[in-house]
Amino acid sequence: MPALLDRRLVVVTGKGGTGKSTLSASIALAAARRGKRVLVCEVVAKERVATLFGKPPSGPAIRELLPNLYSVHVRPREAMREYGLMILKYETLYRLAFENAAARYFLAAAPSLAEIVMLGKVWWHATQETERGRPRWDLVLLDAPATGHGLTFLSVPEVFLRLVSEGPLARDMRSMQSLLADPARCSVCIVTIPEEMPANEAIELDRALRQRQFPAGPLFLNEVFASRFTPQELAAVTRGGPLLAAAGESSDNHESRAELSRHYEAVLRDTVPRELSKVPFLFERSFGAQAIDKVSRVIEGVL
Amino acid sequence: MNALEGRKVICCVGSGGVGKTTTSAALALKAAVEGKRALVLTIDPARRLANSLGLRSLGNQETRIEAAHFARADLVPRGEMWAMMLDLKRTWDQLVQRSARSPEQAQAILENKIYQTLSTAMAGSLEYMAMEKVYELHSSGKYDVLVLDTPPTSNALDFLHAPDRILDVLDNNAMRLVLGPMLKAGRVGFRLLAAPSSLVLRTLARFTGSDFLRDLAAFMLAFEGMYEGFKERAARVKELLTSPEAGFVLVTSPNPLTTQEALFFHRALESDRIRTAAVVVNRVQRDPRRHGGPDSIEGLREALQLAQLKDENNFAERLCQTLTEQAILADQDRREVDRLRDTLRRVPLFTVPRLRKDVHDLAGLWQIVESLGGD
Repeated sequence: MPALLDRRLVVVTGKGGTGKSTLSASIALAAARRGKRVLVCEVVAKERVATLFGKPPSGPAIRELLPNLYSVHVRPREAMREYGLMILKYETLYRLAFENAAARYFLAAAPSLAEIVMLGKVWWHATQETERGRPRWDLVLLDAPATGHGLTFLSVPEVFLRLVSEGPLARDMRSMQSLLADPARCSVCIVTIPEEMPANEAIELDRALRQRQFPAGPLFLNEVFASRFTPQELAAVTRGGPLLAAAGESSDNHESRAELSRHYEAVLRDTVPRELSKVPFLFERSFGAQAIDKVSRVIEGVL
Repeated sequence: MNALEGRKVICCVGSGGVGKTTTSAALALKAAVEGKRALVLTIDPARRLANSLGLRSLGNQETRIEAAHFARADLVPRGEMWAMMLDLKRTWDQLVQRSARSPEQAQAILENKIYQTLSTAMAGSLEYMAMEKVYELHSSGKYDVLVLDTPPTSNALDFLHAPDRILDVLDNNAMRLVLGPMLKAGRVGFRLLAAPSSLVLRTLARFTGSDFLRDLAAFMLAFEGMYEGFKERAARVKELLTSPEAGFVLVTSPNPLTTQEALFFHRALESDRIRTAAVVVNRVQRDPRRHGGPDSIEGLREALQLAQLKDENNFAERLCQTLTEQAILADQDRREVDRLRDTLRRVPLFTVPRLRKDVHDLAGLWQIVESLGGD
């Protein structure tokens, strides 16, 4: 099976607040460093990746963030329009069909059409070729919605095909489904942190993704604390009197989080049959390009 | 939390991963201990509430938290605490069964492909049914306080407008506009037109194929006459949520991204003329420097000496690094809390310190309740 960065489409999902965008940005940066042309597609309401690199939001048009590294904010309205035009070819026909009350109604009734066109756009980028028949992008990264929504998002082709079996959309959905199921071209990664609910969600998400046969990428365990004090040292400093109260409380906090990290790493290694990559907690005063660079180097091993 | 005094419905809103579920459960626990009959309603996917209540499963029925759980946490509830996990499909089905004019009509809807997608996979469906269930429970009069743990909506507006979006789909008039000719044919013997006739329909069919349009028309026929009832009910739900009986609690963590989203959420509520009743900031790092004492390597070395501890393996240096890191976290959190406080001046704000352990029992929840004590 090809290395992670040699696939066409890498999907990053996980519970909200675990660092999906950070990991997407870091994987993208690692790929760009290897000379690949990378496009990050963000599909949630708020764009984050460009800001992580200290750049203004990209919006719906592809923008270069760093050499070889591009991002785009995929939004339903624009995606719908682009996709509609691709199939209908003529602007006037598109307007006639889509920009009237009846069509708006229809668009609302068609199940998850917004998700369909957004996923469709990502798929289109992942399979797009240049005039010389080479892939336009070496790697497309999909910063997917959080757990429940993420699963719904990736299952959109399947849900759609249950309802609709003919027409150009159905044809594209089938092709999308086969890309999402192909371990040679696609990989779905999970991000989590060492806390109870995020860890439990990662376990359930892993199971659901494997059941639906999405190619299993690495599990990133983010915000890991490494133990720094022996139990004796900790006991001594916490009983060290008022002068050591601040240091004692800090060490106690640190060690309790290190204990959680150790515990959930063990649980996840036991239950999730994926490569596990640990990302240390970063104490940055402002979380930006430097932090992303650090993370991208830490995770090299699973890329 | 006086801000919530007298409220019968409390909706906890906020982005994913900020501790909405534990906050919701803590608010229900508080009400129960104070003598109310309180129910917390949560959403299925991650079985979150089961985690925080130490229950193996909430099934999808109203489940009373047993006395033993309270005893283990040294709590004596004067009221009752109940919990329920929302079953999306069942709530939809019940709503249809209740609103249908005949069992045959209900059956026709339940078997329709479009309905099945609508009730399980359609965006906004979960939000709609969560509100529907709250309304139903509220009307039953069985509880003094209902706490709703809302789905982790990435887009703040989705939550309040989900019913509208679903209702748009069920709206006969709009449907008739699109499917008019097909519907007429259907009504005379259920033989729907084979091919859509208008240009708009033909164009749309190029996207989805005409099977979908036929299913849609069949759904519309089955739904005939029920839309008004749905709409009326949704209006009453909205009325309840915007009344003084309901209170919205904005839950967030002190992470810059989530506080930004919390503020966005607040503005969205405001534009719907809903006042945020309270803000809860979870997992706030306490500042170790409040204890005073040295924070440099030199100073810590001296302090170790005074306490007759050896500075082995760079002990002082490791302590200094740890203290610095924890101070960075505390500074970051304070900045975010201040930002929220400055922006939301009139809204009572509560901070819950980061707890040493995950909350998974009533004792853990009670720790949160205690932070929610004073404004």
